Amino acid sequence: MVAAVGLQGAPYLSYVERKRRRRVNNWVIAACIAVVLGWCIWDTVMVDTDWARMGGALGIIGTLERFFWIDWGLVPSLIVPALETMMMATLGTLLGCVFSLPVAWFGAYNVTPNRYIFYPLGRFLMVLSRSIHEIIWALLFVGAVGLGALPGILAVAMRSVGFISKITAEAIENIDPKPVEAIRAVGGNQFQVMYYGILPQILPVVIGTIIFEWDINIRRSAIMGLVGAGGLGLVFFRQMAMFNYGGVTLVVLAVLVLIAIGEVISHYARKAVI
Amino acid sequence: MRHERNFAEGREENGLPAERERPVPVLEVRNLKVSYSASGPQILKGIDFAVDGDDFCAVIGPSGAGKSTLIRCVNRLVEASDGDIILFGQDVRKLNGGELRRMRRRIGMIFQEFNLVNRMSVMDNVLSGRLGYTGAFRSLFKVFPREDIERALELLERVGLQDHVDKRADELSGGQRQRVGIARALMQKPEILLLDEPTSALDPKISRDVMRLIKELAREFRVPVLCNIHDVQLALETCNRIIGLQDGYKKFDGPAEGMRKQDLDEIYAMEVL
Repeated sequence: MVAAVGLQGAPYLSYVERKRRRRVNNWVIAACIAVVLGWCIWDTVMVDTDWARMGGALGIIGTLERFFWIDWGLVPSLIVPALETMMMATLGTLLGCVFSLPVAWFGAYNVTPNRYIFYPLGRFLMVLSRSIHEIIWALLFVGAVGLGALPGILAVAMRSVGFISKITAEAIENIDPKPVEAIRAVGGNQFQVMYYGILPQILPVVIGTIIFEWDINIRRSAIMGLVGAGGLGLVFFRQMAMFNYGGVTLVVLAVLVLIAIGEVISHYARKAVI
Repeated sequence: MRHERNFAEGREENGLPAERERPVPVLEVRNLKVSYSASGPQILKGIDFAVDGDDFCAVIGPSGAGKSTLIRCVNRLVEASDGDIILFGQDVRKLNGGELRRMRRRIGMIFQEFNLVNRMSVMDNVLSGRLGYTGAFRSLFKVFPREDIERALELLERVGLQDHVDKRADELSGGQRQRVGIARALMQKPEILLLDEPTSALDPKISRDVMRLIKELAREFRVPVLCNIHDVQLALETCNRIIGLQDGYKKFDGPAEGMRKQDLDEIYAMEVL
C-alpha cells in the first residue's frame, strides 16, 4: 500500500519540479529582456537628447502650438498638388503592374521560363524593389529625369513591383493544376494555358492586391515632393522652409483627406471585385 | 444529324476519310513502359493493345495499377519512357511541340475532377475546347467564331445544360460539371476520346447517367473511346471491350461479354463482384 502511494507520488513530484524549472527559466529570460531594453532607452533617448533645448513641458506645448493656427488661405493652392498626388499614385500603380507582369512570371516556380536563371532573377527583382525605400527610388529618378511628377510616378511604380509581383507569383504557385492540364490537353499553347488556365484563378487575388497597393501608393505619393518629385509633399516642404507651420498642418490635413478618399474607393472597389 | 455532318467535315479538313472504315486501328500501343524518374519504380511494364474505330474500351484494375498513367501517355500529359504509341498513324512520342498541340486537338479528354476553370462561365469552359484552333488575338479577347458558339450551344443543349450557359462553372453540381467537361471534349470534334475515371467523383446514379450519355454521344459522333474506370460493374455495362491492368502488366484483353469471374479475380488478385 505504501509502495503504491510512493509510485503514485513520483510522477506528481517530477511534474512540480519541471514546472518550477520552467518558471525560473521564464524569469531569467524576462530579466535579460528588461536589461537590454533599459540599456537601449538609456543610450538612445537619455544620453542623445538635448534636454536643455526642449525647455520643459511648457516649451514643448509652445512649439506644438504654432501648428494649430491652420492657414486656411492655402486651400486653393493645394487642389492641383492634391490631384497630382492622386494621379501619381494611380499611374505609378498601373506602371508598377506592367513591370510586375514579367517579374511575377519569372519568379513563380511552376511557370518560370528557367528555374536556374529567370527564377532567381525574378525573386531578386522582388527583393530589390522592396528593399529600397520609395524616397530613395525618388531621389534616383529625380537625378535621372529631373524634377516633377514623372520621377514620383517611376519611384512609386518601382516600389510597387515587389509587393504586387510577389503576391502574384505566390498565387500562381498555389493554383489548381487541373484546369491547366485540361487546356494543355485540348492543344492550347503556352499563352492560352496561362490566359485560360492560370489567369482566372489568380485574378481576384491580384486585383485585390493592386487595389491595396494603390491605397498605399497614395501615402507614398504624398511624400514624394520632399525630394522634389511633385505633389502635396512639395507644398509641405515649401511651407516648412517658410516656417509657415499652419500651412504645414493644412497639407497634413489634405493628405489625410486624400487617404480617407482612397480608403473609401478601395473599400468599394475590392467589394466589387471579390 | 447536324453534329454528324460537322464531324464528317472536320474529318475531311484533317485529311481523313469521312467514313469510319479504316484498316488500321485508331490507336496502337506497343511495349509501353513508364517510370516517373530514372531510378524510380516502373509504373507500366510493357503494355500492348490496340483500339479500333468503334471500340468503347475500358481499362480496369486496382488502384496503382497504372490506369491513369496509361491514358495520359496517349496525349503525352505523361511522358512514356519506352515503347510506341501510334495514334492516327503517327508516333505520338516523336512529335515536337507544334505537332503535339495539333495532335492534342484531335484528342478529347474527360477528367475525373472535371478540370474546369471554376471562375469562368460554362460557355467559356466549353469554348475553351476550341483553343487549339483559335488564334492568339481571338483567344486574348475570348472572341470565338460564330460556328464555334453555335456548336457550343448545341452541345450544351445535348448534355442538358441549356439553362446554365451563363452560369459560372463552380455554381454547378458535380454531375452538371462533368457534362460541361463532356461538351468541352466534344467541342474539339475529337477523333478519339480519353476518359480518365469520368465517374469516380460522382454518385452511383449520376455515374450511370453520365456514362450512358458519353456512350450515346460517342456512338452518335462515331468516336472511339478509351476509358479508365474502377467501377467494374459500370465498365461491363457500358463498354464493349475490357483491358485489365495489374501492377503495370496487362492481365486481360477481350470483349466485355467474354469476361469471366476468374479473369476479374486475376486482375484484382482477390474476390470481386
